[in-house]
Amino acid sequence: MNGALEPGSINAAIDGALRSVGTADPAPGLEGRILMRLAAARVKAEASPARFSLFAGLRQRRLPLQALGVLTSCLLAVVIVAGSVSHSRHLRPGQIVAPPSLVLPGHGIGAASAIHPAAPSSAPLPAGQGARGRSVRRSGRARIAPHAPKAPGVAVPAPGSGDSQN
Amino acid sequence: MGCYEGQLAGWVAPAHPMTVSKTLTIAALVAEYSTALYRVAFSVTRNAAEAEDAVQETFLRVLKHESRLGEIRDYRVWLVRIVWNIVLDKKRRAKTRPEGEDLADHARALPSGDRPADASAISSQEHARILALVDRLPEREREAILLSAVEELTTTEIAEALGTTESSIRSRIFRARKELAVLLEKEGIPR
Repeated sequence: MNGALEPGSINAAIDGALRSVGTADPAPGLEGRILMRLAAARVKAEASPARFSLFAGLRQRRLPLQALGVLTSCLLAVVIVAGSVSHSRHLRPGQIVAPPSLVLPGHGIGAASAIHPAAPSSAPLPAGQGARGRSVRRSGRARIAPHAPKAPGVAVPAPGSGDSQN
Repeated sequence: MGCYEGQLAGWVAPAHPMTVSKTLTIAALVAEYSTALYRVAFSVTRNAAEAEDAVQETFLRVLKHESRLGEIRDYRVWLVRIVWNIVLDKKRRAKTRPEGEDLADHARALPSGDRPADASAISSQEHARILALVDRLPEREREAILLSAVEELTTTEIAEALGTTESSIRSRIFRARKELAVLLEKEGIPR
């Protein structure tokens, strides 16, 4: 109903509704149930094994056993690697190739450029034939175009020598 | 003596003296504040089972942080804040209006008195409708008016629990009641 309501009755209704939640009583035995749940939680926490954590010991302000184990294994790994390297260097010294001696130029850019031999220059291509040889793919087999310019020293099969079946 | 009671006895009287004091503190907290916390939870959930669950969860959190118990200045405010966060979190997760708003819970919440059953049922319906209107209020006003309904809490404690000032709480409650009256004028109260 939407009839006019007096302010007093509205306030009374609001107060009544709020009082109904504000004075609600729990079912009897709430305290006991809470204590039992707390007890169960404590028993469960004590019974469950501690989870693996590297920092658990740090939280408890004592040296963590797990961290000690990890440290030991790390040290062991370093010792093994160092021993292996040392062993390989001292067992067969004759087989170790001596590094090439560097002959530094009296002048120049530096040692690095001095020790690299220059790559042999290839013969220049004929004029107008600057395009590189390209393979032609036919039926899954690569071929070199017959008239493609080749660098000197590249063996090329004679035209028509093995393509008859293609 | 049941299994749980045995565990309870073991929990209440552990060997370590420090744990004894902590345990007794938690047991004392349960004895003193469980009803008030239940009312705080019930004001939001309107469901007896959910409210009780929230109170139990509150004390489980207390158990987790029992090492901090000595640092707490006001246990009531601290506990109200915990249970308040728990119920709001649950409500947010459910993303629904309080579903457990059933009449049985309201009827049980009402003081029994000498009222006939029909009058109580009508009153429960009326309260449920008004509380549904409370849920439509803005968040700040709603929180303030719901906590003000819990008779154990003073305005100062509500202000501390919500992290604001006492005057702010007073004005929020005033605005909430005013707005609620407007809504009730619009919708009317079943009689």
